[in-house]
Amino acid sequence: MTRLFGLETEYGLYVEGKEVGDLVHEAAQVVRSYPDKWAGPWDYRHEDPRRDARGFRVDRLATNPEDDKIDAHAPRRSTDAETRSDRVLANGARLYNDHGHPEYSTPECSNLFDLVAHDKAGERVVLACARARVGRASQPDTTDESGRDARPTISIYKNNTDHHGMSYGTHENYLVRREVPFEKLIEGLTPFFVTRQIFAGAGKVGGETGAAKGAVFQLSQRAEFFTTEVGVDTLDRRPIINSREEPHANARKWRRLHVIVGDANMSEYATALKVGTTSLVLSLLEQGWQPLITLKHPVQALHHISKDPSRKWEVEVESDRRSGIPARHLNAIDLQRLYLSESRAAFAGESDSVDWVLTEWQSVLDGLDADPWSLDDRVDWVAKEKLLQQYLDSEGIRWDDPILQSLDLEYHNVDPEVGLYYGLEQAGARRRIVTDDDIARAMTQPPSDTRAFVRGLCVARFRDTIQSVTWSRIIAKDGDKRVTIDLSNVIGARVEEINRRASAAKSVSDLSELR
Amino acid sequence: MEIRIEDRLRRPMPIGPERKEGDSGGPGKPDVKKPDTRQLLERMKRVDPNTARRYRQRSGE
Repeated sequence: MTRLFGLETEYGLYVEGKEVGDLVHEAAQVVRSYPDKWAGPWDYRHEDPRRDARGFRVDRLATNPEDDKIDAHAPRRSTDAETRSDRVLANGARLYNDHGHPEYSTPECSNLFDLVAHDKAGERVVLACARARVGRASQPDTTDESGRDARPTISIYKNNTDHHGMSYGTHENYLVRREVPFEKLIEGLTPFFVTRQIFAGAGKVGGETGAAKGAVFQLSQRAEFFTTEVGVDTLDRRPIINSREEPHANARKWRRLHVIVGDANMSEYATALKVGTTSLVLSLLEQGWQPLITLKHPVQALHHISKDPSRKWEVEVESDRRSGIPARHLNAIDLQRLYLSESRAAFAGESDSVDWVLTEWQSVLDGLDADPWSLDDRVDWVAKEKLLQQYLDSEGIRWDDPILQSLDLEYHNVDPEVGLYYGLEQAGARRRIVTDDDIARAMTQPPSDTRAFVRGLCVARFRDTIQSVTWSRIIAKDGDKRVTIDLSNVIGARVEEINRRASAAKSVSDLSELR
Repeated sequence: MEIRIEDRLRRPMPIGPERKEGDSGGPGKPDVKKPDTRQLLERMKRVDPNTARRYRQRSGE
């Protein structure tokens, strides 16, 4: 699977004694507590999130009305740059404050193994920041008169909802060949995204919007917050297909597909399968594959699958004269099997990684067909639902007990000492993709087979020379000389060879010569 | 800390314990002991029931 991909996660932040209006300031303080080497600032001048891949630019992006109310009463404490607190790390990742959420963007990866390690490294990095913020990394315990730890608690959650109607994102990014028409991406990906929550959903107790009225337990944290099929907005009027046009690479050759419809996965396996299957569907579309299925009502189908208590997960599909598929109801598992079948026919045997995705895709669909709870070692919503059911049985309470939302939240607490996901992992109940050593290494080392290697190396060796950074370019100074390191074409078969030459650089100027 | 270029560990993605090489069928029961989740239940009982009530966030992308 030769594709660049990466994950961005906006982490939930709880700081004891602070209100929601304080979170922009608090998130900045957490990010600024990053304890290791970093460089900056980020150069925003070449970014334009209002450009739409369908060939136009919107006048403004939608904001969230509830955020607007918070901002009307929250004092502005610092400049934009101070607030965002951008940090580019020696592993090639980006860490910053995005609207009150510490956000960690993995470096660009080209294989699922690296991606999972770097996604998990992000959890540890943000947790390390939070601990540094309250002094836990460097100071002895301080206790009050009652013996209670007097330091404020900071909790970091890798989830997508506050259970009060506010959602925040976990975005996937895939580099896609420019010649694939965006309309074809919409057509081919919409049914896939609507249905992949059956194995990629993180699970949620209850519902928060009218779309999830009556929901007891949903497959997805995010599904109910999506209200339109295609669009450039992300904070409100969220679309199943985000049409943001920011390639962060040579725009003549590439587009970046920015996927906002997914959940944050605690499960290493779910992360790998989510990204691996999506990448295969993109490869089909790059080959000119013609999608066979069109959903009649994609947004409603997304909501329905998430909250369907019958777990039949049926959606309405349009008739297709070419394939002979009539208008009918189709089960989400069977719809995913169509994508699997097409992917297997096209790519089986291409690489170990592709075969892993094909094998596990089938395995998880078979499991969902036969007994979803058999997947509790790898699918997040199953693990969460089963764990909560065990708690209900133990305590003799019902699914409408309010404590369940607190337990739901704690499933996503990234602190291994208290988080429920990590309790499962410590009990040996999770299927691992990477080791703890892999994750620790990813906290400081970039992938060696993508352009992120040059970025990370530059931060590790030449950070004092760096003037600004973006995903595709670094500006530095070597004495009086301005140095531009252009990464927009450092993509493809020659990257590892370029990286080997980069590793021999004696000065930052040597990196500008890389071609 | 030094950034190194090195031959990245290229090991195959791990297949679950219930699956054997060449077996592409559906999942069976894992051939491992059932995980002990009793300690996890104790961890759950220590969760403050008001955590979710207090937890308020701004929206994100």
